[in-house]
Amino acid sequence: MAHPITPLSPPLKDELDIVIPTIRNLDFLEMWRPFLQPYHLIIVQDGDPTKVINVPDGFDYELYNRNDVNRVLGPKASCISFKDSACRCFGFLVSKKKYIFTIDDDCFVAKDPSGKEINALAQHIQNLLTPSTPLFFNTLYDPYREGADFVRGYPFSLREGVSTAISHGLWLNIPDYDAPTQLVKPRERNTRYVDAVMTIPKGTLFPMCGMNLAFNRELIGPAMYFGLMGDGQPIGRYDDMWAGWCAKVICDHLNLGVKTGLPYIWHSKASNPFVNLKKEYKGIYWQEEIIPFFQSIVLSKECTTVQECYVELSKNVKEKLGSVDPYFQKLGDAMVTWIEAWEELNPPKEAAAAAEPKSVKKEEPSPKSK
Amino acid sequence: MVETSVAPTPLLKDELDIVIPTIRNLDFLEMWRPFFQPYHLIIVQDGDPSRVIKVPEGFDYELYNRNDINRILGPKASCISFKDSACRCFGYMVSKKKYIYTIDDDCFVAKDPSGKDINALEQHIRNLLCPATPFFFNTLYDPYRDGADFVRGYPFSLREGAPTAVSHGLWLNIPDYDAPTQLVKPRERNTRYVDAVMTIPKGTLFPMCGMNLAFDRELIGPAMYFGLMGDGQPIGRYDDMWAGWCTKVICDHLGLGVKTGLPYIWHSKASNPFVNLKKEYKGIYWQEELIPFFQSATLPKDCTTVQNCYIELSKQVKAKLGKVDEYFIKLADAMVTWIEAWDELNSTSDIPNGPAK
Repeated sequence: MAHPITPLSPPLKDELDIVIPTIRNLDFLEMWRPFLQPYHLIIVQDGDPTKVINVPDGFDYELYNRNDVNRVLGPKASCISFKDSACRCFGFLVSKKKYIFTIDDDCFVAKDPSGKEINALAQHIQNLLTPSTPLFFNTLYDPYREGADFVRGYPFSLREGVSTAISHGLWLNIPDYDAPTQLVKPRERNTRYVDAVMTIPKGTLFPMCGMNLAFNRELIGPAMYFGLMGDGQPIGRYDDMWAGWCAKVICDHLNLGVKTGLPYIWHSKASNPFVNLKKEYKGIYWQEEIIPFFQSIVLSKECTTVQECYVELSKNVKEKLGSVDPYFQKLGDAMVTWIEAWEELNPPKEAAAAAEPKSVKKEEPSPKSK
Repeated sequence: MVETSVAPTPLLKDELDIVIPTIRNLDFLEMWRPFFQPYHLIIVQDGDPSRVIKVPEGFDYELYNRNDINRILGPKASCISFKDSACRCFGYMVSKKKYIYTIDDDCFVAKDPSGKDINALEQHIRNLLCPATPFFFNTLYDPYRDGADFVRGYPFSLREGAPTAVSHGLWLNIPDYDAPTQLVKPRERNTRYVDAVMTIPKGTLFPMCGMNLAFDRELIGPAMYFGLMGDGQPIGRYDDMWAGWCTKVICDHLGLGVKTGLPYIWHSKASNPFVNLKKEYKGIYWQEELIPFFQSATLPKDCTTVQNCYIELSKQVKAKLGKVDEYFIKLADAMVTWIEAWDELNSTSDIPNGPAK
């Protein structure tokens, strides 16, 4: 199949930030260099802030460790997780770009069935820039893809689609399984390349994995809060899930689309299932309450912005999930703190000129080299 | 891709009928012989009943032409379309088997990316025999497939899945496009093999194509009425669509699953887009009313059988779509006639209906 000519300039080069949480190192970036070097990186360094994380030469970046997170947010830093990749959402908060691509540091470039290296970012951009079709299922999947279209029986009035807010990519090699599945099937690898992008229909929830994810920050950014996980919290490995359920409910309410499928990345590291089980344990039970909550929630018509939807969601979380565990009271409060922080760091464009300079400081100690 | 040892898919040769509508010939069956020959065929001959349709040697079959349909159904034959492949649903009604596979006579064996011939029927059987997952989307698609599973974050209480009522296959080569799309993109061919089976989530409608379709007759058969199309009717090429929307609403109500994706067949014939536009024309407009109707249709809790659901749906069709066009009043009546005929032919006392062979 013919591929489109590579554009002279990397698409959305000045409109997209790549957010990478890391506690180890950024060696994986070397493999991504051909695809990611034109873009600005936001590194969120988890764990010990005194550790020095080396960024490979030639990348333009800003790096935040825990001290930076505390400095930038002050008391509101309490909503940002510590010792959990959930801290990545701090990067979403401080970005000034329209789009975000976030990827884990154990995710590498995969190859498609023809042996060609997959430019995951280019595919995500393609996904975000073309409409979604959440209101009716197209059996040939993405109708805007080259060589495909809407099938017979697809209502014509729905063929304009809706704006795409989220592009959820997948993983070859180590699949994103929960701890019980990892314990039962330690050798299973995902070797199946499914050549499709599709929209997750309105009214349907899904498990959103943060390993290979892109979104339109202007459309859905404030909903991409990854919750309270890690150190001092009773749960882990539900950060992206939480963000995904909140984001999907809000997307459905605001008529925005969520896509899943291509691109694939190569997931190299299987996390320890025994450690994972400890983290997920409470979530296994809580999930059974959380899902019906998200499936039945209805946001009021007056909620017309993401922030309004999110704050309303947080009230519902406290009210309806508070009885499951006090954690959800804390989480409901943290959701509000997050929105307050978001509003502070992302004032409406008219107020931007008058905004306090205490927000993102790009000239901070973290060196940027290019 | 190396397949680990998987339990072989049961043949179900005495539990499945293959229903084929035809107005031309059945030459295509020759290519399918390795896969279809063990099965019983129900041929529904459309058009001129005096024409002789030859069935290739070695196939076990029953064949019905219009005279047979009239003889068997009497006045109720009015619900079965004439001069339209919608007549295929007569085959569903007279079948005595648990499962149906239906395929068009211009659909051939496709090859997968490795060059291997695809046994479409085997894949459909596999789809029907393992559960569907309509309540929550699994990002690795069919979790019951070899080499896949439910992903992190998928609620454990939903991992048993729901029984699968319908398996909707796809087509390589000539895609199933409507007339406007065919007119605008006459050269487009579907060359993309998407290696996935997935469940269409509860609450979501889809365009069900009857070219390569299988279903559990015991679970959903009575909903698979393909409407009033063809001769004497104001519309065509919406038969399978109509059945699909009714079926999906009922499946959602009864907690049954609908899958789409593999298997692929090779669709060889592009129908004439000018003829198609004439057939579809009214549908293009009516669809805009039909979809909101189906999207908002709710069935009462006391509808617990497919027949009850379907009768209720027919009442709603009459009440809410009757004002779109009188056709829908006729259609609603035909839906009731269909259920009456279904119950008559499929009563527990199992009256034999004298197949024509």
